[in-house]
Amino acid sequence: MSAMAKVCEDLALVERFCRGDDSAFDRIVEQHSAAVAALANRLLGWPRDVDDVVQDVFVAALVGLKKFRGDSSLRTWLVTITVNQCRRHRFRRLRRLRLVTPPDARAAESREPDGDRTAMDQETFARVRRAIRALPQKYREVIALKYLEGLEVNEICALLGVTSNALQVRLNRARNRLREQLGDLLEDQS
Amino acid sequence: MNEEKIKHLLAEADQRAGEPRFGPVSTAGVRRRACQRRLVWQGGPVAAAALVLVGMTLWAVGRRPGESQPPQRIASLEEQVRQLQAQNETTLKLVQEVLEKDRRDRRLAALEAQLASIPDPVKEIDRQVDKTAFILLYQADKLYKELNQTESAVRAYQEIIQLFPTNQWANVARERLSQIEQRRFNKSEGQKGVEKCEPRNV
Repeated sequence: MSAMAKVCEDLALVERFCRGDDSAFDRIVEQHSAAVAALANRLLGWPRDVDDVVQDVFVAALVGLKKFRGDSSLRTWLVTITVNQCRRHRFRRLRRLRLVTPPDARAAESREPDGDRTAMDQETFARVRRAIRALPQKYREVIALKYLEGLEVNEICALLGVTSNALQVRLNRARNRLREQLGDLLEDQS
Repeated sequence: MNEEKIKHLLAEADQRAGEPRFGPVSTAGVRRRACQRRLVWQGGPVAAAALVLVGMTLWAVGRRPGESQPPQRIASLEEQVRQLQAQNETTLKLVQEVLEKDRRDRRLAALEAQLASIPDPVKEIDRQVDKTAFILLYQADKLYKELNQTESAVRAYQEIIQLFPTNQWANVARERLSQIEQRRFNKSEGQKGVEKCEPRNV
């Protein structure tokens, strides 16, 4: 399906929802829940259990869908909500003084789904995830949105509400921090 | 450090982290959650306002103990305090009930998901039986086709039929037995023909 057709379908779903058709929201959830969960997982540092955040994102979407004007695509709109909900989630978590890595994330790091991966690979990728998790929230967001979600710079600027220059500054700083942490890995890869 | 290297490394790390877990999202569930949240958001400030009003009233009543208040005013204030307390308690109770119901629903959903993930023991036994029958058939086929031990193979096929009479592999074993019988019959018929023909050929 082309991007334009997807946008048209999304708008049609929103229109149906505004007219009172609940199945349209079900369809939206069905289409976007996996992407929302994946993004939340990345933004929260791979805790794996993102049920609460996903539920909160769709609660916010349900409440705000009637106000959706179609200025951006539905996906971008949901990404914005997910970013905001992840910020809230992190804030709540910090407020509860859970300053250490949550047990879920530690468990996720220790779990190994496939037997054929080498211990070195596991450790390497766990190290990369730790480095990203250690970044401040604003840097981790831009890294996740640019490199993991593959969004364009103008899209990220729009959904984070920052200028292009500010985004470039954040990206540079985030990359520098990653270089400090993972410089050897990036050298080895070449 | 170029962009592609970072992108590649992060994508790999993300991929190796595994899929995120999240429960099924339904419109009904989302609506229920939104409703509960609205109640909490609305109930919280009401309860807080009621508490503040109760506090202020109590403070106002007890501020000047020396001064005499008109009895009617005191009674009226006391009545207001009682009403506010009742309202406050009702709101708090409602909020607690909603939160409790939410907790129960979530626990129930988790238990249902856990229950759904447990395999049906009957199906599991059927699967094991089917697997055993298949292994026996495989060994019998090997005896018959690769090692040419027809008698042992026949015994093995009969064993499968005896042990698992209703299983699909028992039907296959029956087919194999009938093939062996047919082959034996053809062979014996062929020998008879040869014996009959021999004198003429000689």
